[in-house]
Amino acid sequence: MDGEDYEDDNYDGYPQEPEDEFADEMEPELNDDDDRKKLVESGAKATGFPTPAKAVSKEDRTTTPYMTKYERARILGTRALQISMNAPVLVDLEGETDALNIAMKELNNKMIPLIVRRYLPDNTYEDWEVSEMILP
Amino acid sequence: MFFLRNLSHTINLHPSYYGPHMKEFLLRNLHGDVEGTCSGKVGFIICVLTVTNISPGKVLPGSGLAEFVVQYQAIVFKPYKGEVVDAIVTSVNQIGFFADVGPLQVFVAQKLMPNDFKFDSNGPCYRGEDQVIEKNGQVRLKIVGLKYQATQINAVGTIKEDYLGQIQ
Repeated sequence: MDGEDYEDDNYDGYPQEPEDEFADEMEPELNDDDDRKKLVESGAKATGFPTPAKAVSKEDRTTTPYMTKYERARILGTRALQISMNAPVLVDLEGETDALNIAMKELNNKMIPLIVRRYLPDNTYEDWEVSEMILP
Repeated sequence: MFFLRNLSHTINLHPSYYGPHMKEFLLRNLHGDVEGTCSGKVGFIICVLTVTNISPGKVLPGSGLAEFVVQYQAIVFKPYKGEVVDAIVTSVNQIGFFADVGPLQVFVAQKLMPNDFKFDSNGPCYRGEDQVIEKNGQVRLKIVGLKYQATQINAVGTIKEDYLGQIQ
């Protein structure tokens, strides 16, 4: 199925009549096992359902250990919301009352009990605990 | 019939329940949410036996809640057509009588009783040759029809067969 077989001037806006010769070129016959081994399928077959993402083990992670500013924003926002909804606080308050300030304090002490799940384009994900990440 | 089934239930936990006792809250929530419920698919969930797995919590974007998927084993009661069950009569009227098989309500119409059964408004009850079907009496009946709905199951029974009817 390479581009050489395709002729532009053949196209006149109507679907071409299928010719036997042409069809043969489109789908090469696989005669023996050797041919079959050379065949490479591109990507997974479409099933109609998105396949669930797979996890990358802790040793095989490849993304940066630095927390991105977007992750920081999401973590602080989520944690501040939880604290505002009466979640137990994991640091010494020292008179602090603002949920976002408490969340920032927890983040600076690496006490936030959340895990960042980074989804990658190849349908896998890496889990990074906030406590093991390097703060920006 | 009773079955032991593996089921799963999703719980959204409020942040105020976070902390070392989270698991207890989850289990209490599970028992409260699931036991005694009925669905057309699994039948009546009688009781949770064991909790096989509690997934790690997943933060729901925007709401601050955490989502847990709890997998558990439960005893389930699912009635089947043709099943013979013992029941307790709850109400009797001219059309027939209602009986409870645990959580399931079964209706037995007068047509589905032996021909000699007559309605007696004193009671009220149904009288046969040597049987009386009255409120709080015990009957053995056969389920002949079932209607599964999303949240409930309706059943129709018969006592017009040998060895069915009042249990002395």
